[in-house]
This record gives sequence, C-alpha cells and structure tokens, in this order.
Amino acid sequence: MRRVLVLMCFSMCFSACRPPALIPPGATSQLPPSHPPILVDVAPKEAPRLLPAEAYVRTYMQLFGAQTLLEAQQKAKGKDGNQLFDNWGDYLTTLGFPDHRNDLPRARETNALMIATFERLGIALCDRAVERDFHAPMAQRIIFAFDPIDPIDSSQFAERFDVLHRTFLGYPSKLAPPGRIDRYYKLYKDTQTKHAKTRLSPTEAAWSAVCQGLIRHPEFLLY
Amino acid sequence: MRRALALAFVLAAANAAAAPRTLDDYRHFRALSIDLIGRAPTRAELAAFERDDFDWDKWLDSHLTGPGYVDRLTRVWMDLLRLEVGPAVTFAPPSATLRRQAITGPDGKPLNVYYRQGQRRMRDATDGEFCLSESEVGFQIVQNGQLKGTPKPVSQTALDASTVVVRPWWLYRDYLSSRPTLRLKEQWTDVDPLYQPIDELLNDPSGKPTEEIRVCREEAQTSDQGTIHASGRARPAPGTPPPEGRLRPLPADDGYAIKHAGEPISCRSSLALNMSVDCGCGLALQYCMPGESGGNDPRAFSLPTRTPLGLDQPIGSAPQTVSYWHKLWWSQEAIHFLGYIVGNDRDFREALTARYSLVNGPLAHFYKSSSAASCCSREKGFNMVQETEPLFDPARLPNDLFPSDTRAWRFIPDRGPHAAGLLTMPVFLTKYASRRARGAVLYNAFLCKSFVSPTGELPPSPEPNLMLRPGCANCHSTLEPLAAYFARVEETEWVYLPSWQFPLKNPLCKKNQQGKLPGYCEPFYDPAFSDGAQGLLRGAYASVDHAEAGPGGAAAALVADPQFASCTVERVAASFLGRPLTTDDSALLQSLTRGFVQDGYRLKPLVRAVLRSPQYRSSNNVRSSVWRAP
Repeated sequence: MRRVLVLMCFSMCFSACRPPALIPPGATSQLPPSHPPILVDVAPKEAPRLLPAEAYVRTYMQLFGAQTLLEAQQKAKGKDGNQLFDNWGDYLTTLGFPDHRNDLPRARETNALMIATFERLGIALCDRAVERDFHAPMAQRIIFAFDPIDPIDSSQFAERFDVLHRTFLGYPSKLAPPGRIDRYYKLYKDTQTKHAKTRLSPTEAAWSAVCQGLIRHPEFLLY
Repeated sequence: MRRALALAFVLAAANAAAAPRTLDDYRHFRALSIDLIGRAPTRAELAAFERDDFDWDKWLDSHLTGPGYVDRLTRVWMDLLRLEVGPAVTFAPPSATLRRQAITGPDGKPLNVYYRQGQRRMRDATDGEFCLSESEVGFQIVQNGQLKGTPKPVSQTALDASTVVVRPWWLYRDYLSSRPTLRLKEQWTDVDPLYQPIDELLNDPSGKPTEEIRVCREEAQTSDQGTIHASGRARPAPGTPPPEGRLRPLPADDGYAIKHAGEPISCRSSLALNMSVDCGCGLALQYCMPGESGGNDPRAFSLPTRTPLGLDQPIGSAPQTVSYWHKLWWSQEAIHFLGYIVGNDRDFREALTARYSLVNGPLAHFYKSSSAASCCSREKGFNMVQETEPLFDPARLPNDLFPSDTRAWRFIPDRGPHAAGLLTMPVFLTKYASRRARGAVLYNAFLCKSFVSPTGELPPSPEPNLMLRPGCANCHSTLEPLAAYFARVEETEWVYLPSWQFPLKNPLCKKNQQGKLPGYCEPFYDPAFSDGAQGLLRGAYASVDHAEAGPGGAAAALVADPQFASCTVERVAASFLGRPLTTDDSALLQSLTRGFVQDGYRLKPLVRAVLRSPQYRSSNNVRSSVWRAP
C-alpha cells in the first residue's frame, strides 16, 4: 500500500512538473470574397430601465380611468370586500418611491417585494377592469375596448389581444417576438376551461388572466 | 351588429398604421412618453404616433413644457438633495407657538386656554409660567403639559384678569378685521384642501364649534414693538427653594435686560418672550402657530402623510405637529423654486444664485413670524436682538397672502441681498445642518465630485487645522474652504450673522490669559483659531474671503467652476439614459456640455439634445437585433 502511494506521488509530481504541451497554430485562411462580413457587436449594451415609480402609478391611474390616486384606490378596492387592493400607503415604498424625509433613496432595480407588489396591483387592475369594462358601453371601456365573444378562435383572439398589447406594452402585437400571441391564446383557453365558478365568468377570468400577463410583463415594467 | 361595428372601429383606429413603424420606433415613443408625460402612452396617443403626419420634433417640443416634464426634471435634483426634513428635526419655537392647557372653567366644565411657554408676566406667581396660578386653577404645569395638582374651577374674576377672548387667524378668514365673522367651514367655505386645522382646534371640549378662544392676556397683545423688562429681582442663591405656589424659581433678569431695561424690542424676536411683558402674538394671534396640547411639538393641522405624485395627489391625512407643518412647506418652496426654473426654462445657474423664490400662504406666514423666532438669544451679546439681515427679508412678502392660502404660490423677485437659490432656503439649511455638510452636498450634487480619502490612515494629531492634519487634509483641504462660505449662517438655523455685528476677526473675542474666549463669544468664535488679539469666526479659518462672500459666494464659485456645466449635463443625461455615464460617453458629454453652455445653461435644449441622441434611442438595447457591423 505504501509503495502504491509513493508511486502515485512520484507520478503526480512528474506530470505536474512537465513543460506544457505545445499546440502548433493551424493554418489560417481568408474568407471567400462571396462571404458576407462577420458582424461584431460593438454597441454598448444597456440594460432596460425600470419604469419610474411615478410613471407606473400615473399609468395605473390612467388605466383605471382615475383622476387621482385616491380615486384609483377606491376603484381598485371596489365594494365587494374582495381585498384586491389595500392602500397606496402600503405599496409606495415597495414600488420604489424614495422617502426623502427619511433619506431612503429611490429604488432603481427590482426586488422580490417590488415584483410581488406589481403582481398584486396588476391583479386588482385587471379584475376590476373586467368587471367594469364588459358591463359598460363600448365608448366607455378603457382597457377591454372590444366585444368578448365566446367561443373565440385564434384570429379573433389576436385582434382583441392586439388592443391589450398596445394598451400595456405600447406597440402592435404583430411586432412582438414570435409565439407570443399563441402563448397568450393558450393562456386564455386554459383559464377559460379550468376556471372554477367565481364572481367572474370563465370568459371574464380568461381575459383578466391575459391582462395580468401583460401588466406584469417585463416590457411593461421596463423601458 | 352594432357591437361588431364598434369593434371594427376600435380595431381600425388601433391598426391605422399607415406609416410603417419599427419596434424601436414604438419603444422610443413609449420611452419619450414615460419621460415627458410621466406615463405610458394611451392607445389614442399611439394611433396619433402611427399617422403619416406625425412629427417627432413637434411632439418633442410640445412636451418639453408640460407638468410631466417639470416634474421629471425637478425629481433629478430632489432625488439628489433629498430636500425634505426628517422627524429628528423639530421646529416649534416657544415664542411663536401657542400651547393649550385645559382648565376647569367657572361653571365646572372644561375650558381651553392658550399660552406660550416661558412668557414673562408681571405677576410673580405666573412670571415665566402659565398665566393662571396654582391657587387659581389648582395645578401647575411641570413640563410639556404634565400637571401637578388637582384641577379646580377657576373664578370668573381670575379668568378675566389673566385671559382674554380672541378670534384667531386659524378660525377666521377675515381675522384682520375688527370683528371677524367668516368662520372656517361656516361662512368661510372655499378653503384650500390642504388647510385643515385638526378637530381639537376647531371644537370646544364639549364638541361644539369654537367661535372664540381664551388666551393668556400677555400672549394676546398686538403691538409689534415692546420694551425690555427687568423685574429688579436678584438672582436667588443656589439651593433656594422656589416661592410658594411655584415649581420653579422666579425668572431672573438677564444681564442684557438689566443693561437695556426700558429700551424698545421687536416683538418678533425670540428675546421678546423672555425679556418683555408687553409683546404678544399680534392681532388675531397671527404671529403664533396653535398647538392642541402643552407638548414640546403639539399637533396642529391634518396633512398628507405621503405625496408620491406631489401635493395635488395626497395619500391619506393625519393630524401632524407644528414642526411637520413648517417642514412640509419648506420642502415645497424648494420644489416650486426648481419647478419655476425648469418650467420657465431659466438659466439653471439660478438654482444656486437666484435671489427670487416662490412662497405660498404658510411660507409667507412662516417668514413673517416663526422664522424670526430662531433669533436671537445667544446673539444678544453682540447687540443683535433681532435679525438685522435675514436671508429672507419679510418686508418683501406680499400682505395679501394668508396662512390658509396653501395653493396660492407667489413669485418673490428678491428675497434680500444674502439670498442664493436653494442655498439659503430653510429646507437646505436644516437638512444639511453643518457648514461642512452644506459644502459637501453642494460639491457632490453640483460638481459631481465626492470626498474619498486616498488613505485610510488617521494618525493621532493635535492639529486643529483639518487642512493640515494628516489623514484629514486630503478631503478637508477642499471641504473647509467650501464650508467657509457658510460661516455667516448659523448651523442648524438660517440666522445670518452680519459683518458689522460679527466681524470675522473680532478683538472683543480675543483669548484671555487663560487662553479662553469670553463666554458669549464661544458659540460664534473658534478658540482654536483665535489668539490674544482677536477671535476668528467659526468656520472661517480656511478662507476668510469665502466666509465674507457668504452663501452667495458659494453659489458664484460653484457656477463658475467648469465642472458645474458638465455635472449638470451628466446628471440630466444619466437620469434620462437610466445609467451612470461612462468614459464611452465622453464625446456625448462634451457635445452636450458645449451646447448647454452655448444655450445659456437652459435645460430644455439640453433635454431635447439628450432625447434626440442615439444613446437615448438605443437605451434598453440588450437585444441581438441591434448588433451592428464594425
């Protein structure tokens, strides 16, 4: 056993002390003239900016059709006791607002609490918007400015999804990465199919789910 | 059918994309909306953007004036300077704050009486105390509203002898009239929403609306000028118990009062509280803030707890203290001042140099009354019994702004000769209470430099000059001269020390044979830099020239520094690009700085240039689609 160990030590020492193996350079060759130039990325890479908390809240108010924060809060709370929304005061810090009085700086990056707040606010907005818009005249609909037909095929869905896509992400859905419309259509169908009986109908719940997916989308929260 | 038509209309409007816009165009437009309007674009705005006749430049110019733009730019410096004063700072000066004490009235019912802590009175039993004695009301006030004794009904005679009935400014809009009638929430209904005295100030202990209040007689006096009062009492020997019926000894005459007895004194000076018996809170108590208790910082008004989108969008409301009221409006002065510069596209150097400002009713009230209460107890040794050269001269305030006018903002063209933009505002001087803190924050915010010592060694040293002391010199050789600009503004306060009363080198404050300064000099003159011939004003040792130049000198020096322009550009560009500028951006920074200076330090052309730069357009570009050929 001792011999084996000594032998192993010697062999390890020998291999470690050996000069490095040289790999001779291979022959270089020019690209054929017909080959297009190879692109080299020299543009500085800049990460997306987090939506300023003020802009988030103002957008939120606008999507609620509210003129003031308190009006948005009132609409988000509703009167059915569902506790979809607490109070703005509970969300301000987690949304990233600075507190200059206490020398707390503005949050410029997301964190877990902030994401949770976005989620909660998004759910409140979409659920209340579904309740409001689908029972209001078309001219008064703020988010769901379309007729939620049922059943709905993929092209009909795409037309309506485009309205929401523009509302939340600011550009037509046809410019979105491939597959987005299909994924959201699947989300719509799955939600509609699996929806348990609640105050929302399956169709309303499905549109609310689509809305929630968009308002919590990184493209909504970043710019 | 109608639904289908309506849907077709909505979708057609949404898809009216006659002009092909790229994804980057849309993202650029969304970013501009967020930065200039303050929110994401609506569908209607997107539809307008998609039209053939959409004009980027026109759109940009039309949005470089709105409230969203003003708010966005103001935020850059408010985030940097954090100009809101925290809860650690209280400002409820005894001479300008009326506390309230509940007594038992002649009818056996509770009755409120307002008084000032420390008010001098002619009666020995109440001199320097609440105006009704223990024998009259059954108790004495120990401290901050705590009582000793058992309340008993006061006699009508004693009540009438020591108190009067007043219709105060916080209850009546027409408080300056001989018989005010426009009571809050009754005849006076068009009240600014942010003017909300708390219920305790509006209602009697019985719950009925208060029509008039009881005030101690001395506090209700209305003259602007009183006389210095000396009782002639000798200072009691140490250990002498207080006279019968008093918790504390009778107030002794101040040396200054003995020497100047009978001379006139301004009733707005804090000294008047302790040195005169004929100075009060003025007509309708207009020079005092009311409080609902005898506490150190009593509650007075209901105010928003948070204002994330500004005061127009308050969230919640709660009873707040006298200090909170003042601090809220100090902060608003800075916000409105910056908003004026941005909104009117003024030369940005005015943020530091301007002598103008904007005030509303509460601020005008503060500058006319409570502001002066910071002066002059320690200063009287230098014959300064009232502010002689205030940073904000109250004589320049309009007379038709009332404390309740929270929404009426007035432009004040000139605050006074020592005013210098943000640098002389109470919010800046209390947020950054020391001379060094003031210098350091200006160095950082407006020159984009920080004090970072290259060495961590701090060897022990008796050297008082921080510009020489090893380990300190690296930073303090720059900081001390900058801090010296604030040598004439008292720390934690806004009292300006005029050169004719506080010469930089004062022979009266020279060191004695024991190496000490006269006691009254110590707060103002620095023993470490004084000698047997003269005392040197604190903070001036690094540069007497800077100390003489004052905050205005600091402003002039900062805006003359070449770094000022590039730092302003850097602050603005970094804010819009959402990242710090790096060496890769040096060409952009140079170009923007050149344009900023050529355009007279105006922000609008600068912001326009930033928003039209390829760097702004390519912000948020972590996508393979933006790879470019070398």
